[in-house]
Amino acid sequence: MDKLTPYLPFLIPILIIELALMLTALVHVLRHPHYRFGSKPLWIIVVVVFQIIGPIVYFAFGRGEE
Amino acid sequence: MNAFTAFFKKELSEAAHTHKLTVMGLVFLLFGMMNPLTAKVLPDILAGVMPDGITITLATPTALDSWAQFFKNVPQMGLIVMVLLYGGMLANELSRGTLTQLLTRGLPRKTVVLAKFSAASLVWTAAYALCFFVTYAYTVYFWPEGSTTGLPLAAFSLWVFGLMLLSTLLLGGVLFKNSYGCLLLTGGLVALLSLLNILPAMQAVNPMVLPSNGMALLSGTFPASGFVTPLLVTGAIIMSMLSGTIFLFNRKAL
Repeated sequence: MDKLTPYLPFLIPILIIELALMLTALVHVLRHPHYRFGSKPLWIIVVVVFQIIGPIVYFAFGRGEE
Repeated sequence: MNAFTAFFKKELSEAAHTHKLTVMGLVFLLFGMMNPLTAKVLPDILAGVMPDGITITLATPTALDSWAQFFKNVPQMGLIVMVLLYGGMLANELSRGTLTQLLTRGLPRKTVVLAKFSAASLVWTAAYALCFFVTYAYTVYFWPEGSTTGLPLAAFSLWVFGLMLLSTLLLGGVLFKNSYGCLLLTGGLVALLSLLNILPAMQAVNPMVLPSNGMALLSGTFPASGFVTPLLVTGAIIMSMLSGTIFLFNRKAL
């Protein structure tokens, strides 16, 4: 782990971005309970478990019409 | 305010509203940060997972390794993300019929296509520029002495290739009326171009040179002049995709 310490100032912003993506998608999943397919629990799992890919897949395919 | 500006603004605010802007921005920012970092940390990680007693000699990473990550991640991941997010830009509106009212009130169909293309291009340009300059800043920070001749041309070529994919998505939207058709057409085009790239005769003109030879240009194994014809061909493809879209859209019943 010691070897990673010098890179922490760079790793932390990356973590923040991943979290921001996850939260944007998660809030959207919770507030818009209509999906093109899948259910709310499914999309919560996808968005939270699969970093980066999950939110992209949700916004590209899962998001329902408004 | 003319029809183009109005529709262009509507497209941009829709991109913000549907989180396309957020996702594009965050993802490309993330790639921008990860490129130099991966190049920097990869030797340490590899050394860390090697069992004791086995020593591997790895070259110290350079600025070129950072750009190698850039020219690997953006064409593979970045373009896929963009295509997925913009897959339905025309198709969804056509299938939902949300354009019908505007079109019957006299909004020219050409304006719809061009405004959609401009708005999507603007978002792609902004996200790509963000990714590029973040990678650039980190690379210069980590390797101040690294030289990268040919970088502007390589980066420009990849950007043009992205524009070509966007124009393909629009054509797909008119042809298929659903986002899966668009994705299939775009994926099919890329697959076809990759196949054509096997033929040596095609390599001089093939648009696939733009996303895939950036790194070869930086490392000096591919001449800058080799980009000229593919760039012109890609420009021609973008023009014909757009005029094809407008032509078909004008003749399409809603």
